[in-house]
Amino acid sequence: MKYESQAVAKPYFIAAIGLFLGQILFGLIMGLQYVVGDFLFPAIPFNVARMVHTNLLIVWLLFGFMGAAYYLIPEESERDLFSPKLALAMFWIFLVAGAATILGYLFVPYATLAEMTGNDLLATMGREFLEQPLPTKVGIVIVALAMLFNLSMTVLKGRKTAINLVMLVGLWGLAIFFLFSFYNPGNLVKDKFYWWWVVHLWVEGVWELIMGAMLAFVLIKVTGVDREVIEKWLYVIIAMALITGLIGTGHHYYWIGTPEYWQWWGSVFSALEPIPFFMMTVFAFNMVNRRKREHPNKAAVLWALGTGVMAFLGAGVWGFLHTLAPVNYYTHGTQITAAHGHMAFYGAYVMVVITMISYTMPLMRGREANSPVAQVVEMWSFWLMTIAMVFITLFLTAAGILQVWLQRVSTEPMPFMAAQDQVALFYWMREVAGLIFLVGLLLYIVSFFIKGKAATAT
Amino acid sequence: MDPLPDPRTQAVQAEALYLLNLLIAPGLAFLLLLGLAYQQRASTNPLTRCHVRQTVWVSLQAGLLLAVVPAIIALVGDLDAPATWTILVLYFVCCHAALVLLGVLGLSRAIAGQTFVYPLLGSRKW
Repeated sequence: MKYESQAVAKPYFIAAIGLFLGQILFGLIMGLQYVVGDFLFPAIPFNVARMVHTNLLIVWLLFGFMGAAYYLIPEESERDLFSPKLALAMFWIFLVAGAATILGYLFVPYATLAEMTGNDLLATMGREFLEQPLPTKVGIVIVALAMLFNLSMTVLKGRKTAINLVMLVGLWGLAIFFLFSFYNPGNLVKDKFYWWWVVHLWVEGVWELIMGAMLAFVLIKVTGVDREVIEKWLYVIIAMALITGLIGTGHHYYWIGTPEYWQWWGSVFSALEPIPFFMMTVFAFNMVNRRKREHPNKAAVLWALGTGVMAFLGAGVWGFLHTLAPVNYYTHGTQITAAHGHMAFYGAYVMVVITMISYTMPLMRGREANSPVAQVVEMWSFWLMTIAMVFITLFLTAAGILQVWLQRVSTEPMPFMAAQDQVALFYWMREVAGLIFLVGLLLYIVSFFIKGKAATAT
Repeated sequence: MDPLPDPRTQAVQAEALYLLNLLIAPGLAFLLLLGLAYQQRASTNPLTRCHVRQTVWVSLQAGLLLAVVPAIIALVGDLDAPATWTILVLYFVCCHAALVLLGVLGLSRAIAGQTFVYPLLGSRKW
């Protein structure tokens, strides 16, 4: 660690991992509710479990991005963070607000929570992924603005590199597009239209910039490849991400009441969306093949390579699978979407945050890399989580294909719930794979507590 | 004086054509790959020989895996049964994605100026 202020990333990463564990536990609860409908009812109804599962995902990834930014930007800017105290204050505000929100979901009926938190003043709640009460949303904006001020001042006073600028642009984009969560027009078509400006333009737009910057940062460190080479790759990747991803938003506009031309725009541009992920995979492997040093943190290198592969599979291949309008006509909103969502989030964003944590945590704890034993445990966690996620995706895809057939293709289409009964076997298998994922995550957490002599470069 | 030709050029071209054959221009890219292989048949550059040989050989196998096997599944299975479609779509997506990923590995090795044997499918000699 070059600058002391980079240490503010540590609590962000610890919170991220804690919330990740919560997300997986609620995922398992919900997975079981798919097949045992009244499991934990009425304490944790399905809709609440789902809301907690998805909201925890978003919040812990945001913690991860913020922690990564607080570590990466000072190092790239070659100066201490503008205000470490502000960063720590924002951490506590975000953690308390996030925890209060989740507790609110769990212990207060959602309609009452909306009444209690001023939803009648500005109605923003009740929409998928944006269920947060108004004060939480305002809190997110305040935390984001304070973070952007802190990071922008650091960059402005320090060295400007492609990596810190791309990271900063990504974070600014994240904050700006979140503002559309406050816009909730009465017209349902308009509502969904702008809702995607948060959801899609985050995950298939500005988050890809953040991801690219984080991956590039770690690859420079662990491979020793010249910065110029990595930065050129980064420029091309983010250009492709934006060229394809912005108009690719159209793949969400096929059936929501927008003009028909979106079926063409959405199909063509989103068919190109795998390109940046494809390039990221080539980029990661190419940099590791051209490495000028053997970094002792082998686990971080594994996570970086895994990010490329799994992002390409989850976001690229499984995205393309159902993105063309004539295909999406049948697959829309089925378990195929869930399969894509799981692998894409894991491959693109979970893994890149873990890559960053894996690289930086040993440094923040005073060593270049963890002990060989700790790294072996971490690599086991990599394989367990990754293979489990592959199987979760495959089982959900199988469930989705069957669901499409039974509900939408068959000459005698089944109602939704009848079709759900028919795919229960796949849900059981998904639940088993989910348990293996949990074991992998627990091993990952255990790896932080394994002591031993730090690994050295071979 | 002309600069020396980059020894990686034909290797990268071969891997790129292999990927194009799988992704954008099936058949046409394979013909171009065959043309490249014919043009480079006397090459003594081990990098070129390795990547051209690997990509031609694996492309032929990919053709079998992606065209012949699905056709067999469709013929043997009942196309009115959802199980056939579940197996067919899952098989095709997984197989195609695996072949593309192998190509990505091959391309990254070619760009780095290294030889590469496709796991399971690749030729051990070139």
